[in-house]
Amino acid sequence: MIDYSKYTVEEFATDEHFRQWILDPSEETVVFWDNWIKQNPDKQSTINQAIELLLTVYERYKDDLTDEQVEQDISLLVELAEAQIGNSRLSIFINPLLKIAAVLVLISGLSWFFYSQNLRDKNVAMVNVEMITKTNHADNEMTVLLSDGSVATLMKGGSLRFPNKFEGESRKVYLKGEAFFDVAKNPAKPFLVFANETVTKVLGTSFLIKAVDTESTVMVVVKTGKVSVYPEKDYATLSEKNDREVAGVILSPNQQVVFNRKDSRLEKGIVENPDMLILSTTSQELVFDDQPVAEVLRTLGEMYGIEIVFDKETLAGCPISTIFKEETLKQRMNAICQAIGATYEVVDGQIIINSKGCLR
Amino acid sequence: MNNAVDISPNSTDINVSLWLKFKSGDAVAFGELSQMHYRTLYNYATKFSSDSEFIRDCIQELYLELWERRTFLSETAFVKSYLLKALRHKLIKESVRLKRFKEPKELLFDADGSDLSIESRIIENEHLKHQIKRLNSIIARLSKRQQEIIYLRFYQNLENEDISHVMNLGRQSVSNLLYRTIKEIKEIWMPAEFFWVLLSILLY
Repeated sequence: MIDYSKYTVEEFATDEHFRQWILDPSEETVVFWDNWIKQNPDKQSTINQAIELLLTVYERYKDDLTDEQVEQDISLLVELAEAQIGNSRLSIFINPLLKIAAVLVLISGLSWFFYSQNLRDKNVAMVNVEMITKTNHADNEMTVLLSDGSVATLMKGGSLRFPNKFEGESRKVYLKGEAFFDVAKNPAKPFLVFANETVTKVLGTSFLIKAVDTESTVMVVVKTGKVSVYPEKDYATLSEKNDREVAGVILSPNQQVVFNRKDSRLEKGIVENPDMLILSTTSQELVFDDQPVAEVLRTLGEMYGIEIVFDKETLAGCPISTIFKEETLKQRMNAICQAIGATYEVVDGQIIINSKGCLR
Repeated sequence: MNNAVDISPNSTDINVSLWLKFKSGDAVAFGELSQMHYRTLYNYATKFSSDSEFIRDCIQELYLELWERRTFLSETAFVKSYLLKALRHKLIKESVRLKRFKEPKELLFDADGSDLSIESRIIENEHLKHQIKRLNSIIARLSKRQQEIIYLRFYQNLENEDISHVMNLGRQSVSNLLYRTIKEIKEIWMPAEFFWVLLSILLY
């Protein structure tokens, strides 16, 4: 047993058993310390100071990380770690015989995959999933809302094909041209962008893809979060074998990868011109000072060319003050909803605000 | 508000089978190892940056680097103070890369706790609340370095040797700084405590 009778404030505050009593009390610690204080009444003031010191430091330095976020981050980490195993395993095939064997396996796997993929596609098509195609013919960017709350911003000439509802284990969309994606986080259901022989896989982040048919390269640039990019034919074998023995490239913010369509090669680099990640119309600074939230929503709706549906009466007299700079539509909607204690959902390309009136 | 606190001890004894699994490339074991000090790292990083996404990216990158080098690592790689130090480096490196800071070499401990709102269930006592607010304002007036050492010693519960490792100071400098800081706090704190005892005697 430790003799606590000569302990100072600092020694108490850093003692593991004492800290447990204050920060995460169990019956055992409570009984022990209540007893101890009764037996050592002259140490009451020292104990009090240690408690105060500990609680002050904990109040002062607490953070707002939720258990869900930790869980999300860890599962993303595990996913990325698994993807990396694929990378390093490929380099094992130095032996030419192994190389040949690998190629054979790959070819047979591929052909089998395409065969079964065709079958599967047909099956999926029957389960009343409707594919929608949006093409941007205008000069301005076009905002496309997806059913999971993700937002795609199509540049001029860009075209996106996506299901009206995401069914199955992943969220697949098909891109031609250039688009900026802001993907809703859902580690359980990865978001896949197919664009000119590449597959970009994300779990929740924002990034830009440039896949113009007439150009010989495909470019992926990451703004926030992490994405992995694969040549499409490699990705096919990967999902089929339910393993990740494929060389993908993992990108972090402000990194980019260029895919050379001729020789199917991925080249990673740093973004030389980060400005390209800032969208022109949506990055103008917006200042709302004590404005009715209805007005703020109307402004945003006009700006993105989408309909934001809300009940005027419940939101009447909800003023908000905010400054928007480089946020994405999703971040802006989250900020507004948080401020007025509302939630929103995306239905048929519209944003619906659910609110029970203002918090205040 | 989140009340979960990280009081994980600084012990190095990682479960042996977990460690071996990690070494052999088991991503799930890697996830478990990463989870152990995840909150600790996140909390530490919030003292240098207020951008939660940026922080989580940095931590992720840090862990993925450990994953890549897993065959060469020893178990100390997952010791709290080693991770904290590595994260500090990472935050500087990434900030420079993303040009977040004008002063790239320096990373300031800049926890803003000035408008302290006490929400914890544990603190019901009004006197205690008052004392905590007072002590908080005393800490707020300390230098950044002093604040960091208080944080590392009493929030993260690191030993002096670990603190010297994380802050890149000599051991003697750490104990000097800590001694001076605690003395400074006490000089303001104690007389008031004494005053309070006096007041309560007079009242009853």
